[in-house]
Amino acid sequence: MALSFFDQFMSPNFLGIPLIAMAIALPWTLYPTPSTRWLSNRLLTLQNWSINRFTQQLLLPLNQEGHKWAALLASLMIFLLSLNMLGLLPYTFTPTTQLSLNLGLAVPLWLATVIIGMRNRPTHALGHLLPEGTPSLLIPILIIIETISLLIRPIALGVRLTANLTAGHLLIQLIATASFVLLPLMPTVAVLTTALLFLLTLLEVAVAMIQAYVFVLLLSLYLQENV
Amino acid sequence: MNPKQLILASNIQTHLCLQRHLLVTFFKTGALLCSRDVSRGFLVYPPSLRLFAEGHAEAETRLPSGATTRHFHPSNMLSRLVLVSASSLKGSGALGAGLIQASRSLHTSSQSLAPVPPLPEKGGKVRHGIIPEELFQLLYPKTGVTGPYMLGVGLLTYILSKEIYVINHETFAAASIGAVFIYGVKKFGPSVAAFADKLNEDKVAKAQEVKDLAMTSLAQAIEDEKKEQWRAEGRSVLFDAKRNNVAMLLETNYRERLHMVTNEVKRRLDYQIALQNLHRQMEQEHMVSWVEKSVISSITPQQEKESIAKCITDLKALAKATQAKATA
Repeated sequence: MALSFFDQFMSPNFLGIPLIAMAIALPWTLYPTPSTRWLSNRLLTLQNWSINRFTQQLLLPLNQEGHKWAALLASLMIFLLSLNMLGLLPYTFTPTTQLSLNLGLAVPLWLATVIIGMRNRPTHALGHLLPEGTPSLLIPILIIIETISLLIRPIALGVRLTANLTAGHLLIQLIATASFVLLPLMPTVAVLTTALLFLLTLLEVAVAMIQAYVFVLLLSLYLQENV
Repeated sequence: MNPKQLILASNIQTHLCLQRHLLVTFFKTGALLCSRDVSRGFLVYPPSLRLFAEGHAEAETRLPSGATTRHFHPSNMLSRLVLVSASSLKGSGALGAGLIQASRSLHTSSQSLAPVPPLPEKGGKVRHGIIPEELFQLLYPKTGVTGPYMLGVGLLTYILSKEIYVINHETFAAASIGAVFIYGVKKFGPSVAAFADKLNEDKVAKAQEVKDLAMTSLAQAIEDEKKEQWRAEGRSVLFDAKRNNVAMLLETNYRERLHMVTNEVKRRLDYQIALQNLHRQMEQEHMVSWVEKSVISSITPQQEKESIAKCITDLKALAKATQAKATA
């Protein structure tokens, strides 16, 4: 089948049935439910341990109120991590390359933090718009800049994830194509390109994990400011 | 379910049975009084109800106050009661449901009622990381050891040559990610598995430690108890020793006093002896002095002169003798 470079970014449809739902629900099938047994198998033990460790680390800077978000943030992290990692497999569709999904995750969560902050501690939340120790002349300008910075956060969150993943996938495609095309023509260059592809894949694995973590970390930071 | 719960359950059961029996007997006695056929209402009525029994019109005319009456229809009442008692027996209280599933303990058996086999401890065996061992076992009788490999190579060749799978840039990407994945699994697999096993082992070790601690403390308690029992047995020996001590003290005291008495008596007797000796000595001295005095006084002057002259002649003779010895 002839693949163009942007086929992987199109939301998959099969006989008119949108498969995006299945693509988004797929990570849920990969993680076993914790069993009622006292000692579980290796996969479950590791899963439990890693989720516990991660949640503990993430919630360290948050106060008691912020701990209510533990389930949401942990599940978001696992969701994004699995989507990103599964997207590295060939012929797969990565939902997180779609700006709609990422903005759909970022805007409501960011807005929730802002509303919580404005509702419970409005002065404290508004106080973040002016850093300490600014000279009096700069105050109006700084307020405007900080407000823009606040309002750009959801866009930044969504676009960061989308851009990183899309760029990574596209780079893999391009370098793989280069390697594939160069193989009959200049084999040595093709071998070098394949080595580059290998390194790039390593990078992409790292980026997949880091981007998911950064998304959740930034959300927890926004929460910490406001809760 | 522990014995307490079982006893409680049986108690409740007997209570409910009693209740049911009571209600049934109540109705039986009611039936005796009324002896009614429940399907058709009252037939024979007790005297108190006879007023109401003989038809509506007569009853209405009989009653001066003009109150209307109704036929009793207990046909549905008793059946209602039976239904009520049966359901109350089954789902009564907190133990009603537990009575039915009394045989399943919570944490040591699977919770399903079907005979489910126990879960395996380790996953199924795989060859080359993906292909289950069962495929090789399946093909072994017919094609031997190389059968599955031939199948795999043939399948791959078929797919590639018929262009069911076209090699394109995604193949390279797949090879790349496959290499990364296999490298990761081979390098970090054993350590991660060991880590997971260690987590479980730590859990078991903690529980085991608690159990061992409890066991050692209980064993220690048993030892201490035995020692205390042994000590209690030695009570009589202790008392014997004490009794011996006391007897020895008494004996010592008695002997001391005996010695003291003996010494005192001896002292007094010694005094008497000394007194007697003194007497004798004084008498002796007195006699001696008296004899001396009398002898001295009996010496006359004549005797004194004679004795002195004799002494002088004796002395002269002696001097002569010595002189003669000296010159000789």
